Amino acid sequence: MKLTKRYFLQMLTRLATVALLSSTASISSAQEVSAELDAWLKENALGAHAMGEENWDEIVAAAKEEGEVSVYTASGRIAKVVDHFQALYPGITLTVYDLGSVKTIEKTVREQDAGIFTADVVTTGNSGQVIHELLANNRIFNYVPAHFKDKIPEENRDPLLIRVNEAMVFFYNTETYPEGAPISNVWELTQEEFRGRVGIKDPMGSGSSLMGLAVLVQFPDEMAAAYKRLTGEDIVLGDGVPDAGYEFVRRLLANDVVIFKSGSKLADAAGAKGQDDAMIAMTSMTYISRNDDKGNVNAIISDLDPASRMVYPNFMSIGANAPNPNAAKVLIAYLLGSPDITLETKLEKPYIEGASFDLLQGLAPYHDAGSVSPRNDVPLPLGGEIWDEMVGWNVSADFMWEQGPRLRDFWLIHSSQ
Amino acid sequence: MAMADSGKPAFWSLQNISYQAYRLKNRPELIIGLLALGFLSFVVLVPLLQIIKDAFTFQSYDLAYNPDGVVGEFTLFHLDRVFNQPISAALFYKPLVNSLKMGFFVTVIALTVGFSLAWLMVRTNVHFKGVFGAMLVFPYMMPSWVMAIAWLSLFKNDRVGGSEGLLTYWTGTQAPDWVAYGLFPIVITLALHYYAYAYLLISGALATVDSELEEAGATSGMGKWKRIRVITMPLLMPAIGSAIVLTFIRILGTFGTPALLGLPVRFFTFSTQIYASINARNQGDAFVLALVLIVLAISFIWINSRIIGVRKSYVTMTGKGFRKHESDLGKLRWPATVFVILFLCMTVALPLILLLWESLTLIPGDYSLSNLTTYFWVGQGNVNLAYGEPGVIHNKGIMGALINSIKLGFAAALFNGVLGLLVGYAVVRGRGKRLSQWLEAIAFAPYIFPSIALGAIYIGMFSTSIGPVPALYGTFTILILITVIKNLPFTSRTGIAAILQIHQSLEEAARVQGIGWFRRMFRIIIPLSMSGVVAGMLLTFITAMRELSLIILLISPGNMVLTGLIFGYQEQDMAQHSSAVTLMLVLIIIIISVIVRVMSRSAGVGRLNTT
Repeated sequence: MKLTKRYFLQMLTRLATVALLSSTASISSAQEVSAELDAWLKENALGAHAMGEENWDEIVAAAKEEGEVSVYTASGRIAKVVDHFQALYPGITLTVYDLGSVKTIEKTVREQDAGIFTADVVTTGNSGQVIHELLANNRIFNYVPAHFKDKIPEENRDPLLIRVNEAMVFFYNTETYPEGAPISNVWELTQEEFRGRVGIKDPMGSGSSLMGLAVLVQFPDEMAAAYKRLTGEDIVLGDGVPDAGYEFVRRLLANDVVIFKSGSKLADAAGAKGQDDAMIAMTSMTYISRNDDKGNVNAIISDLDPASRMVYPNFMSIGANAPNPNAAKVLIAYLLGSPDITLETKLEKPYIEGASFDLLQGLAPYHDAGSVSPRNDVPLPLGGEIWDEMVGWNVSADFMWEQGPRLRDFWLIHSSQ
Repeated sequence: MAMADSGKPAFWSLQNISYQAYRLKNRPELIIGLLALGFLSFVVLVPLLQIIKDAFTFQSYDLAYNPDGVVGEFTLFHLDRVFNQPISAALFYKPLVNSLKMGFFVTVIALTVGFSLAWLMVRTNVHFKGVFGAMLVFPYMMPSWVMAIAWLSLFKNDRVGGSEGLLTYWTGTQAPDWVAYGLFPIVITLALHYYAYAYLLISGALATVDSELEEAGATSGMGKWKRIRVITMPLLMPAIGSAIVLTFIRILGTFGTPALLGLPVRFFTFSTQIYASINARNQGDAFVLALVLIVLAISFIWINSRIIGVRKSYVTMTGKGFRKHESDLGKLRWPATVFVILFLCMTVALPLILLLWESLTLIPGDYSLSNLTTYFWVGQGNVNLAYGEPGVIHNKGIMGALINSIKLGFAAALFNGVLGLLVGYAVVRGRGKRLSQWLEAIAFAPYIFPSIALGAIYIGMFSTSIGPVPALYGTFTILILITVIKNLPFTSRTGIAAILQIHQSLEEAARVQGIGWFRRMFRIIIPLSMSGVVAGMLLTFITAMRELSLIILLISPGNMVLTGLIFGYQEQDMAQHSSAVTLMLVLIIIIISVIVRVMSRSAGVGRLNTT
């Protein structure tokens, strides 16, 4: 008996040690750049040491020297370019970690806390956490290839380079509404006529849906003004509702908005043929391509007061202490597409094959209606030309960081009533 | 003890060490017990401590509420949020009530159904017992959300728009919302899946109740009902108790079905809230909720053991005459048979047929014959269909995931079998010692982790290397590890039960002849316990193949398995691919189980459906 007791004590102490060790591991790092990291940044001309000019051929040569590059991504579509990338840059092996948006951030943070640096490129949406948790804490660094700098408007590369922009828009069924868009003001969705006839992708389960919704909440004054334009009256806020942005969310939920788990299901629900009472869908514009794939009859409402597209970004960046920084740079340039593209370039579907692929490079899987390159010299994808006709707002990373959790709470409270 | 007489030698004295070494050598259960306890503490207790730590410290997500907070510092913020704020009702109390309602109703129905079927199968002369016996466990072999998908194909109404459900397609009428979504369909579909626990446990117990005991009751003048009440039921109580506990706790942690059927009418449960919180990287909320779930599970087990007083072991193999009595149903024989057939049609045939049908439709929701196609099974990949994803048999992704799933199933079954047997050995042979009690408790502990929470913790725990253990995140090993751990409560139970039936005297006899531990193990213990262990392994195999909640957070393209692939197809609304792969998964599980049963039966391992 004595022996077992002793063993127990020893084991318990060991266990406590393990627990303690693991608990210290997740305390986040300071915001100052350590000398070690600074040296790495200097060597690779990143962060504060970024230079206006660079010798691209040297970078490519160094990348081939490194021989491999890994990307942590929230989007699985990158996997489709692996062969093409490796053929274009023989000698560099591309490994894709398709992790989804939550795990991309989680894995980056946890690994770096433990002193493991394996992420070369990190690409995900979720602007609040990417900017304020990763970038602000020196877990990732911005890199814009010098030869692309003047092709990318500043808002698309500062503070962080955007890989593609996407937007939440409103779909309507053209068989239910053959005369055109059934609404011209977003507040109409909160009226009796659309009770239970609006669908939204669950903002609690989807970062992109939350960002799309947040864009409307971000502009309470404009929302209040739009309400007045529709009804002629000032908006009356519900109990404890801070402003007209949140009030829109409250009324949308009170009007029995139907919550969908998946955006594609929602697009099909709104757009399936043969419906005489189809719902309006608040969803990613990307799903308009299901008109071709699934025979949907959706159309996008392009002229909506106060906004018809709510834009949210997908970022890309280089991980701190990335083991293959040069290959990371090459991959980022590749994901932006070939510099040879101009607004006049004719790109043909399927983009993921032949000459179009060679031009679009890493952009090819994303060159789809509803996704827009950060560059100003890439033509809009076929079927997505409506993007430029729409008035819209962009999500703010600061707003997401400070208000995102509150918006979720607000949604949770009002969706459980 | 001998040591006391010769004066106490120092602990490190050669005498003592050699004495202790001698003692250890003769107590293999101690060595095994300690090793198992060490390993299990690492994979079970560390996650638990991690949950507790995260629940009581600031997370970076909380900075939005407390800009001055320091990540990692102690705080009661999460507790306050979950229990004591305006948000608490939506975050905690309502989902709690929903989860409890769901657990209660599912348990009642599953138990009733499972009990009735067990009684019919074991104690009556209902027809076609062999076929029924095999088929009644089929629903358990399907992922639990298969029923939910079948339900949706049947009763989907205008609320979620899109293609019509079959009911509307055939009759033109719309199912009311309460039939299509929310508590009612969730309870029905889950009960039709989880009745398997009650059925398996109760039919196992019924089979070992000696009819002579009941006949003794009859000769002493007891009526039929009194015999059931006084003799049969008490003997069944442990099995019924276990069935209640297993079903109820499992329901509390289940995610797929409530997510599918609950969301359209905003029916939120504990598991959906945990999933949502983890998805937002809000670990604080998620882990407080997970802890509540764990506490609930523990109290439920405790209450159950207080009321029923589950006996850990009961002697059923007396070596004396054992008779099984089948009562004649008489006129009811055929009606009872038809009832079972109808039940099987509903729970087995219908979902499988719907899956097959759906996998053969060109446009989902159109059930006319002209819309049938085999494209999604044998197509080569057409850019205009399903994003150019090739049909099942030409699809490298599906084939890779299939191989991974089978690998996972076999690996988990093997490790679980070995671990369960070793734990069983250490627990039973060390009976009465504290080590034994600890080991038994900790082997059961994974049961109280909601699957989804365990997955979330394992991400954190194994995304980096810990001592000699490398970073397992994204590897295939982590899937095996978490599956083995999550199934350990079952396999250690079967291990304990199996060893309990082997009297120590058998092993002692071998020991007297100087036969070493390993030979004793391979010559005596393993052959005699094979029946129970193989049953446990088969159960692990089935669970591993169809598990989603547990591994959804841990899979990536590198270690993709079929359930993960199905989930992905569903997310992208590729109904035909998702149906085809689900059907394939279910058929493979069924075929492999049948093969194992037949093989083990011919090897004389005995009945396998009583675990």
